[in-house]
Amino acid sequence: MADALRVLLVDDEAPARSLLREYLGAHADVVVVGECANGFEAVKAIGEQRPDIVFLDVQMPKLDGFEVLELLEPYTAPAASAATDSAVPRQGSAGAARPAVIFCTAYDEYALRAFEVHAVDYLLKPFGRERLAEALARARSRLAGAAGGAHAGGPGEPPAPGGAALAAAARGAGRYAERVVVRDGAQVHVIPTERLDYVEAQDDYVAIHEGERTHLKHQALAELAESLDPSRFVRIHRSFLVNVERVARLELLAKDQRVVVLRDGRQLPVSRSGHERLREQWS
Amino acid sequence: MHPLLARPARLLLVVATAALLGVPLAWLLRLLEPRSWLAALAFAVPMQVFYSFIVLSAWWVCRRHPISGDTIGKAVLAQIATATQASAVWVGLGAFWAVTLSHWLHPGLSRVAILRDLTVLLAAGIPLYLSSAAAHYLFLAFEASHAAERRVLETEVTAREAELRALRAQLNPHFLFNSLNSINALVGSDPEGARRMCEGLGDFLRRTLALGARDDVTLGEELVLVERYLNIEQLRFGERLRVERVVEPAAADCRVPPLLLQPLVENAVKHGIQDCLAGGVIRIDARREGTSLRVAVENPVDPDAPSRVGEGVGLQNVRRRLEVFGAREARLSAQRSGDVFRVTLTLPAIGGAELPEAARG
Repeated sequence: MADALRVLLVDDEAPARSLLREYLGAHADVVVVGECANGFEAVKAIGEQRPDIVFLDVQMPKLDGFEVLELLEPYTAPAASAATDSAVPRQGSAGAARPAVIFCTAYDEYALRAFEVHAVDYLLKPFGRERLAEALARARSRLAGAAGGAHAGGPGEPPAPGGAALAAAARGAGRYAERVVVRDGAQVHVIPTERLDYVEAQDDYVAIHEGERTHLKHQALAELAESLDPSRFVRIHRSFLVNVERVARLELLAKDQRVVVLRDGRQLPVSRSGHERLREQWS
Repeated sequence: MHPLLARPARLLLVVATAALLGVPLAWLLRLLEPRSWLAALAFAVPMQVFYSFIVLSAWWVCRRHPISGDTIGKAVLAQIATATQASAVWVGLGAFWAVTLSHWLHPGLSRVAILRDLTVLLAAGIPLYLSSAAAHYLFLAFEASHAAERRVLETEVTAREAELRALRAQLNPHFLFNSLNSINALVGSDPEGARRMCEGLGDFLRRTLALGARDDVTLGEELVLVERYLNIEQLRFGERLRVERVVEPAAADCRVPPLLLQPLVENAVKHGIQDCLAGGVIRIDARREGTSLRVAVENPVDPDAPSRVGEGVGLQNVRRRLEVFGAREARLSAQRSGDVFRVTLTLPAIGGAELPEAARG
């Protein structure tokens, strides 16, 4: 347990990263394994480096800190992570837990969301050495607790937040998502919701259709539906969520058997309750 | 609606006052032709109540013919004409009422006595109406000055609010927190740089407060503030933030409301630099075109960024302040074309050297 703490620094501002590096230099057991200037790099580096602790800024280009965490989700559940992260070399032990996250930001309004996703600490810029040492101590005890127990659920380790909590935290309370983030191996796609055509449930995944492209995401359809604006995305079927702006018409094939025809000609099944929801939307 | 008729309580007051004025009229009529108090009051009181409604019509006439400078003669003529008509109507009503009463009361008045009564009404009606008109003019003048006062106060409050909001937006706490964090970082690695940054931040804050306290500043002064701001942000964003400026000397001398450009540049940094992976160029372009001053601020936008519906708080604030500044030709337009977001500010070109005749288009 005398292993070094492997730390990753994520901040889009170089001075902020160099400050962290300087402060951390005073802690002999800490090794900085990398620095990332944006969310894309962070997702990749966390997958590859498996750090113990991540210092994470919130406001960054493309992916904010919460979206980075949302994309790490498969990595908390070992069974699922084997399926999605097969391309990513694993360095840590087989059951590597999620890294302890310490947010660093000038904005205090994200604190609540940060604790919803079980951040270890929330550092408000500017902060001093002592405050950082305190955050490190918390992270150490959280990590020790996790190692003592059986990965998750040990003392000091709250249950890992579910995908819904992460997704909700990523978009902020009471608002609908403006974009959907998807991880594809080492690549990350950011898809503005207005570009989504429809989403189809496939076992534990959702297939997100955007024009010619299809993205797979480890998420339940209901959960994704909940995060999207219900006036634009309607659940027309147990397995289908459609962007109403893409719907050309509704066709009746037989009694109680309907399909929507999208502008590009694709047809999607509509269930009875889905039909009612569509009618509500159009009335 | 006449303000005295608008509420039942006031209406009652009008009727009561008019009824009381009926008493002296009854006394006068008794002097001219002896009769019982009952007969005199039965005629005088209703007549005064009628007339009180007639003289209230002066309100509309007064509003139609305000007294101001050269219109005063016209107003007086209009009032005298209306007074005569009002009095005539009153006499007509009086004749009807006197005849009606002479049927009910015994002994009735002689025809000669009724005619004498009506002459009294005609004589009293005109001055009564004119004094009502005078009272109405006074009331309207009082009301106008009151409204003007309130308007001035309202404008002042709106202006003060806009100023406060601008100042608060200016001293954006997150900008300060992030700057302090940068200084904190520099103290270890580059103490000399940390000092320069403290100085820069101090200078920026002092300028912000000084400019914010003034009614207008030159565009050049505002641009110096913007430059100080960008210097500080440069330290945070490094290579990601690049700035291009094209400012005509004639434009720099124009007078503008303080702290108007600053929030636009801050927005540009937030959306164009902070939200873009590679950052980009912020372009500031100020030129004078004839009688107007045009300032444009451009920033790159992330092509994946969702198109925003409506305007952010920053743009709304600037718009509101333009309104308060009171320049009717002042305009703010914002549009996104491709991956560039551009805000254009158009103001009347005030102050500075006039362009030579030949240079104008």
